[in-house]
Amino acid sequence: MKKLNWIKKGLLFNPKEHNTPLWMNEFAQAPHVLHFQDFIRVYFSCRPCPDANGQYVSYSAYADFDFDFKLISISEHPILPLGQLGTFDEFGTYPVSVIRNEDQYYAYYAGWTRCESVPFNTAIGFAKSNHPDSFNKVGDGPLISYSVDEPFVISGPKIRKFNDIYYLFYIAGTDWILDNGKPEPIYKIRMAESKDGIHFIKANKQLIENKLGEYEAQASPDVFYKNGKYHMFFCYRGGANYRGKENGYRIGYANSIDLVNWNRNDDYVGIDVSDEGWDSEMISYPHVFELNNKVHMFYLGNQVGKQGFGWATLENELL
Amino acid sequence: MIWKKKGKFFDPTIDKLANHIVEFAQSPQTIVFDDFIRVYFSTRTRDEKGAYLSHIAYIDVDLNFERIIDFSKKEVIGLGHLGTFDEHGIFPISPFKDEDKLYAFTCGWNRRISVPVETGIGLAISNDNGATFQRIGKGPILASSLLESVLVGDGFVQKYEEIYHMWYIFGTKWIPETENEPVARVYKICHATSTDMINWTKEEGKQIISDILNENECQALPTVIKIKDTYHMYFCFREATDFRKNPERGYRLGYATSKDLINWNRDDEKGGLFKSQKVSDWDSEMMCYPHIFTANEKVFLLYNGNEFGKFGFGVAELISE
Repeated sequence: MKKLNWIKKGLLFNPKEHNTPLWMNEFAQAPHVLHFQDFIRVYFSCRPCPDANGQYVSYSAYADFDFDFKLISISEHPILPLGQLGTFDEFGTYPVSVIRNEDQYYAYYAGWTRCESVPFNTAIGFAKSNHPDSFNKVGDGPLISYSVDEPFVISGPKIRKFNDIYYLFYIAGTDWILDNGKPEPIYKIRMAESKDGIHFIKANKQLIENKLGEYEAQASPDVFYKNGKYHMFFCYRGGANYRGKENGYRIGYANSIDLVNWNRNDDYVGIDVSDEGWDSEMISYPHVFELNNKVHMFYLGNQVGKQGFGWATLENELL
Repeated sequence: MIWKKKGKFFDPTIDKLANHIVEFAQSPQTIVFDDFIRVYFSTRTRDEKGAYLSHIAYIDVDLNFERIIDFSKKEVIGLGHLGTFDEHGIFPISPFKDEDKLYAFTCGWNRRISVPVETGIGLAISNDNGATFQRIGKGPILASSLLESVLVGDGFVQKYEEIYHMWYIFGTKWIPETENEPVARVYKICHATSTDMINWTKEEGKQIISDILNENECQALPTVIKIKDTYHMYFCFREATDFRKNPERGYRLGYATSKDLINWNRDDEKGGLFKSQKVSDWDSEMMCYPHIFTANEKVFLLYNGNEFGKFGFGVAELISE
C-alpha cells in the first residue's frame, strides 16, 4: 500500500516564544494559510490566561511568514471582537477560515457560548473586510446555526471555492456523551454549498464514515485539490478519555472526485504521532497547502495546540 | 373588535388534573376536533435544584368552550437530549392541523451562563390524534441567524393559499444587568414562509409590528386569524424591565390587521381586549399569551392573566368585528 511520505519539520510557531500581547498568551490552534505575493499569512486561534474559574475565551489572530517559513510579524490585535451579551460568539471566536472574494476577504469562524448542562455550544459566524488584518461581523447572529439534523456544536469551518461554488466544510455535533459524568461532544464532518458565500445550503450528510464507531469525533475537514482529485485531511479521536495519547486525535484522510462522496483511507495519510516531543501524544487540525512547488501540512500536537503549531513537508506525490 | 370576556376557565392550582401539574397553565393553544377542542398549555415542575422545568399538558373542552371533558394522562412530549435546544423545557407549544395530520411547533429552552436562556423552534408530529408528539429530529427547524441573533421562538403557523406562514419572535439584544434588574431580553415579531413546514424562508431581522412603547418594547406570541378578507393578529407586549411586579410595565394585549400578510397596521385600541379595571380580577394586572381560533362558528381568544398564567387561563368570545 502506497503511503504519503511526510518529513516532519518540528514546531513552527509558539506564542510563548514571542513577546505576544496578553490576549495571545498561549495556544496557536487551527492554522489556516492565505497566500500573498511575497509572504503567507497564517490565521490561528489563541487564548489569554484562563479566568478565576479556569475558563478560557479564545481569539483569532495571524502571523506572517516568508517563503522560507521565517516569521515576519504577528498581529497586534485580534481579527474579530467577541460577541455581544447572550450571542453565539460571546466567549470565543475559534477557529477561523479566510478566503478572498474579489477585493474583499470573507472570514468564517466558530463562535462560542457557555451553557449550563454542557460546557459550551458553537455556531458558525461570518465577517467581511477590505483588509485582511481585521474583520467586521455581518450580523450579531450566526451564518450557519443549529438545524434538525445538526442540533449543536456547529464548528471548525473551512471555506473553499471550486468551480465558482463556495464549499464550507465544517463539523456538527450528534451527541453529548457522559465520560465519568462529564459531558463530551461527538461531532462529524459535514458540508454546505453556496453561490455567493453568504447563502448556504446544507448537504445534511455525514461525509466521512466512522472508523472508531458511533462515538468517533471527527474534526478539521481540510480539503485540497491536486492531481484531479479532492483530498481531505481531517482529525478524529475516541469519544471518551481522549485528552491523552490513547484515544487522542490522529490525522485521517479521504478523497473524492465530486466533493459529496468520500472514500476514507487513513492508511494513506503517512503521518502519525512521534515517539517523543511536542507531537508524541496527539496530532490534529491538519491544514494542507502548496508553497515553493511543495505540499506542506500545518498541524497541532499535544494538548491540541497549547504549544502552537508545527509543520511537515510532503516528499512524494499526492495522488 | 368587540369581545365578551367569559372569565378564567382553568386554574391548575385548583383543578388537579394530572399529578405532575403544580402550577402554571401558560400559553393555551388549540386543535379543534369534530366534537371537542383540545387545549395544549405549558405547565411546570421543579427540578432537584428548584429550577422550573416546563412540560406540556392538555385539557379537552366542549365545542362551546364551557366545560372540561378530558385531560392528558401521559407526557405529551418529553424534554430534549443533553445539550439540545429544548433540553430544559418547551414553552409554548403551538399545535397545527394540516389536512388530517397533526403537528406541533415547539419553542425549546436551553439554559445559558451569561444570560438565562436561548431558544429555538422545533417541529414534532403526532401519530395518535394529538395525545403525544414526536420530534422530527434533535435540532430546531428555526434558530438564530445573522440578523436574528438570539431567542427565536413562539412560532405560530397558518396555511393560506398553499403557503405556510409562521409568525414568531426573535431577540434583538440582551440588556446587561443593573443594580435592580437582572439581564433583560428584547424581542420582536417577525414572519417566515415555507412550502413543507421544515425549510423556512426568513425575512431576516424584519420587525413586522411597530413599537408603541419604545425601542426596547418586547413583543411576544403572535396569533393570527383570517376573517373575511382581513388578517387579524393579537400578541402581547411589555416593557423590557420591571415588568414582573409592576402592572404599568407588564404584559398587555396588542392588535394589528393586514390585507396582504406583508404590511400590518397596529391599533391596540381596536383590538378591544383590555385588563380588568377591578383590582381583584384575575386579569387586572396583566394579560398575555393570546391564542385566537374558531369553533362552532364562534371566534374565541384564550389568554393568561396576572403572574404570567400561574393561576391558569381564561377565555373571551368575539361578539362582533
